[in-house]
Amino acid sequence: MSLYSFLSHGLRLASSVQTCLSPNKMVLIKGSLPLKSPSLAILNRLFQTSCSRYGLMEFFDDEKNWGADEVRVGRAWKAEELRLKSNQDLHKLWYVLLKERNMLLTTEHYYEKMEKELFPSPERIDKVEESMKNLEQVVKERNKAYWQLEVSSAEDGCRPVRRERNQFGVMVDRPLTEHVEPETDSNRVRPARPYASPDVANFLKLKHEQEKTERNREARRRHRHVVGLLRRFPDLDLDMLREQYPDVDMDRVRRDKRIRGNHEDRLSI
Amino acid sequence: MSTRLYPLYQRGNPQLRIFLPNFWMKLLKPTHPIPSNAVQFMVSPEMTKHDVKQYLEKIYNVPVVEVNIANKMGKLRRTDKGYIVKDDDLKYAFVTLPKDMTFEFPNLMSEEKKQERSDQMKEIERVKDTYKKDQDRFKDRPGVPTWFN
Repeated sequence: MSLYSFLSHGLRLASSVQTCLSPNKMVLIKGSLPLKSPSLAILNRLFQTSCSRYGLMEFFDDEKNWGADEVRVGRAWKAEELRLKSNQDLHKLWYVLLKERNMLLTTEHYYEKMEKELFPSPERIDKVEESMKNLEQVVKERNKAYWQLEVSSAEDGCRPVRRERNQFGVMVDRPLTEHVEPETDSNRVRPARPYASPDVANFLKLKHEQEKTERNREARRRHRHVVGLLRRFPDLDLDMLREQYPDVDMDRVRRDKRIRGNHEDRLSI
Repeated sequence: MSTRLYPLYQRGNPQLRIFLPNFWMKLLKPTHPIPSNAVQFMVSPEMTKHDVKQYLEKIYNVPVVEVNIANKMGKLRRTDKGYIVKDDDLKYAFVTLPKDMTFEFPNLMSEEKKQERSDQMKEIERVKDTYKKDQDRFKDRPGVPTWFN
């Protein structure tokens, strides 16, 4: 399977590919390398084969974990580790992760909705989802690299989108479609300015006010934080603070009366 | 088979294929008695019957005879602050397996385990009660140690 044929859902230049779902599912252990034709002994050492449960029982965990208070697992896959893997390995790993997530969601639903009990080790779901996110990121990187090499530097193989206002006046990415003839005012299906209405204007006014208030509050929070730091640690390096909190105005912070204690000598900071 | 944006299909191109499907499916324990060859799922709200069938057949190697889909609207409820909010809509899939196949939802929590958990909860409640009683006894005399009579 070539690099590009694997990537993403459907490529213009991709050769046809079988979806890779081998019946004997092999899970690569982290850090081990895939071998071309390993003997059974080596295979057993380097690979961990998932146990031979098939079908719907894959929606459930190992029987030894049923009813356990805690299930100990490793960490999520990092993007750096996944970048070292071949496309076939990533493809297999995706299905392993997908099945694992389904299993965890099934178990979580059973515990929390059916039994009204706490689901043991819920962080497992986050770990699987983080791994899936990283894997998708790596695949997208490879896909983009392929398209830029083979097609053009502007292409990344994704559907073209345009950033514009929707009917609520909010900026969104609108997926573009192809037209036989260019869109004009006469043949336009969708209004050119769907957000042009007094209600939307009012809504946007309120929304912007809300956002501005939140921004101001955030800025004040940061200012107060730095003031608190200086009150507790008066000898802090101001340049370091400036570097760490670039948005905070240090002159204003130094003038703030909250950084002074009730001592006369602190007035001259 | 994916919630991502599909690329534009142009005529003459190979068929669009999904290599990394990201739909989820939960296998549910049926609340009502159902036939032994029927299975109940909760699925991603974007999934269709065909998606469910292909998902089970291709990823899980489970033969599927028929899929029925039911959408359930999320409840409207009032929050503590008085706002009316709507819960997420849910999609259920009722899958029929071939006649000769049976599936029974396994017992994930044995009776002993349930008993153990309820005992633990009872113990926690008992400790809480004791603590509250001690607090109440010296409510009028703060700072007095509990051994003082």
